[in-house]
Amino acid sequence: MNATKRFRKALFNRSKLRAVIAIFVFLVLWEIGSRSKDWFGFAVPWIGHIPAPTAVVVAWYGLIGDPGYWQSWYMSTLRVLAGFFAAMVVGIPLGLFMAVNKTFNGLAFPSFEILRPIPPLAWVPASIIFWPSQELSIAFVTFLGAFFTIVINVLGGAKSIDPRYFQSAQSMGSSQWDVFRRVVLPATLPSIVVGSAVGMGITWEVVVAAEMISGGGGSGGSGGGSGGGLGFFIWNSYVGGSYEQIVVGMISIGIAGFISSELLRKLGSYLTPWLRKR
Amino acid sequence: MDQNQTVALLKRSMPFQTVPGEMLDAIAKLARYESYARGDVIYHQGDFADDVYIVSSGTVQHTLGIGFQATHPEKILHSGDVFGWAAVLDNQRSRLAKTVCMERTELIRINGEELINLFRASPETGDIVMSRFATMINKEYTLPEEVAGHVPHFTQVPVTMATGLTLTMFRLSQWLKSPKPYLMFTGFGILLATWYFTVEVWKLPRFADMPGLTVVMKEWFSKDPVYGLSIYTPEYYQHIWVSVRRILIAFFLATVLGVPLGLFLGWSKTFREYVFPVFETLRPIPILAWVPLAILMFQGSETPVIFLTFLASFYATALNTMLGVETIDESYSRAAACLGASKWQTFKEVIVPGAMPFMFTGLQISIGVAWFSLVAGEMVSGEFGLGYVINTSYTMVRYPTIVIGMITLGIVGYTSSALVRMAGDYMMQWRVRELALGGR
Repeated sequence: MNATKRFRKALFNRSKLRAVIAIFVFLVLWEIGSRSKDWFGFAVPWIGHIPAPTAVVVAWYGLIGDPGYWQSWYMSTLRVLAGFFAAMVVGIPLGLFMAVNKTFNGLAFPSFEILRPIPPLAWVPASIIFWPSQELSIAFVTFLGAFFTIVINVLGGAKSIDPRYFQSAQSMGSSQWDVFRRVVLPATLPSIVVGSAVGMGITWEVVVAAEMISGGGGSGGSGGGSGGGLGFFIWNSYVGGSYEQIVVGMISIGIAGFISSELLRKLGSYLTPWLRKR
Repeated sequence: MDQNQTVALLKRSMPFQTVPGEMLDAIAKLARYESYARGDVIYHQGDFADDVYIVSSGTVQHTLGIGFQATHPEKILHSGDVFGWAAVLDNQRSRLAKTVCMERTELIRINGEELINLFRASPETGDIVMSRFATMINKEYTLPEEVAGHVPHFTQVPVTMATGLTLTMFRLSQWLKSPKPYLMFTGFGILLATWYFTVEVWKLPRFADMPGLTVVMKEWFSKDPVYGLSIYTPEYYQHIWVSVRRILIAFFLATVLGVPLGLFLGWSKTFREYVFPVFETLRPIPILAWVPLAILMFQGSETPVIFLTFLASFYATALNTMLGVETIDESYSRAAACLGASKWQTFKEVIVPGAMPFMFTGLQISIGVAWFSLVAGEMVSGEFGLGYVINTSYTMVRYPTIVIGMITLGIVGYTSSALVRMAGDYMMQWRVRELALGGR
């Protein structure tokens, strides 16, 4: 009895109810707007040109059994992971080293800063020229997207450490390595987590664009770019005129990005238990 | 009381503690010894302030007059305490307090004017003594700083404020003295040398296909560029202008719409509960995934690009502004409400300035992502603009122009974020000062 009450309370508290109402209203407005041409004879500006949510659901239902659709998921995820891990492996040590070593920081940071304002996507053509395969060039651009964010976050985190921590560690006889392991690393962990989460978001952005621009890698090639990833899936749907699939692709990328960011956040809160809210 | 005893007493008193020996002797020579019986009044408030007193033995009750804003007007003075300091203040010719001896009291008195004349001869020591007087007046007699500020000043400190140019020159000279600039240029040198040697000298595999440093520079600064784009061609500036115009429109729209939305999202719970879920549902979708949809929604080639740029900026601005409002301590709003502020006044005086730091962080992120999505938008669809230059140069095999486009993008992008940061610093002077003092 009490349990059901609590269950009901959890299910129907006001903010959740409002969220459901809001999203429902949004979907209804979208539906009406999209179908305005059929129903009222004139297209509502903007929304009138895009597929309705019900049509999207129908299209999605048709795609669930399609291996090409899942292949796109797989390809994009693979590229994101490759770029992201490369960025972590290179970016975190680089950021930490720049924070610890002043000379190296003075040497490398200005160069880093002049390369950083160039948007990752501007690297796409240069990357295609440089790397032998499409796959590698997409991974490289993805890497760049996450790399700059991760380095900047690690560096910022390490720089904001209270200098008294170093002094007290040193006055108690810590070696360089102890200071690094016991002070620098735990203190930068939160910013590493934040940087990775942001970087992950950027990686998904970049992968979509890189796939669109470079034409989807094309290694698989069968059945309208099934090897091309979700970005190419969207672009291909646009070129092929199946507009419902564009929205399916957008939502799919949204879900994929959301899941990966959430996973990272969970992992981050596991690694930094002292930051968890009680 | 002999000279040595006087010097010893001076050394115990707060203002004279740090005075060197010779100077102490000179001060001691000015001192005159006096003794009072219980109940004697040394001076009344409003009497002419001539001498400074130091208690040698006994106790004195010191009562500051009303109206001097002392938090504790009454004070009991013991051996070594200094009073009668009105005699050394500028523009203060009368006593601020009434002093009564509570038992048999011995003290020395020093003429204020003679003391100051003595300090004129050695201004450094004088300034230290006077600043100790000021601290004593402020801390021990609990008087406001305005009173303490009347202590005289002896050294001629150049009080002219550093102007912008001299300050810049000073910073420049400090910077040149540090190893920073040399390391920086070495770093640039290494970067450019790597580019030059790998591509043009050693012609490493893969690198050899890339446009080399000298080729790009020759093209960029050539009056007659091979591929048609250099700093002397009007097209170059046309592309820059098109991109900048798109950024300006999108950034302006995003700020005008995003800041109020963020403020309301943070301010009104009801509004947030209705609007935020929709916002959050749409947010994980990468901006670039909107490209085809944007082309469908907005006919033409200009509006979709601006829409994409706008969307990216809009999210960043609205979200950060909302966060900014949420970080404001609830008690500020409550305090304002207690003092009778209306809802609108609270919004204007508490919420908006409180959210400002986050808002500007948001704007800075916003201008960054704006360039990010602008380039993507221009590469996929669109005519003119720097992203378009990069993409068409690739398809038309004008490789050096790709690099020119990239460098230009970097410069323009950096300049725009610097401008936003400067605007933020200008509008939030308090924050700059806080950060400069190491406050977090």
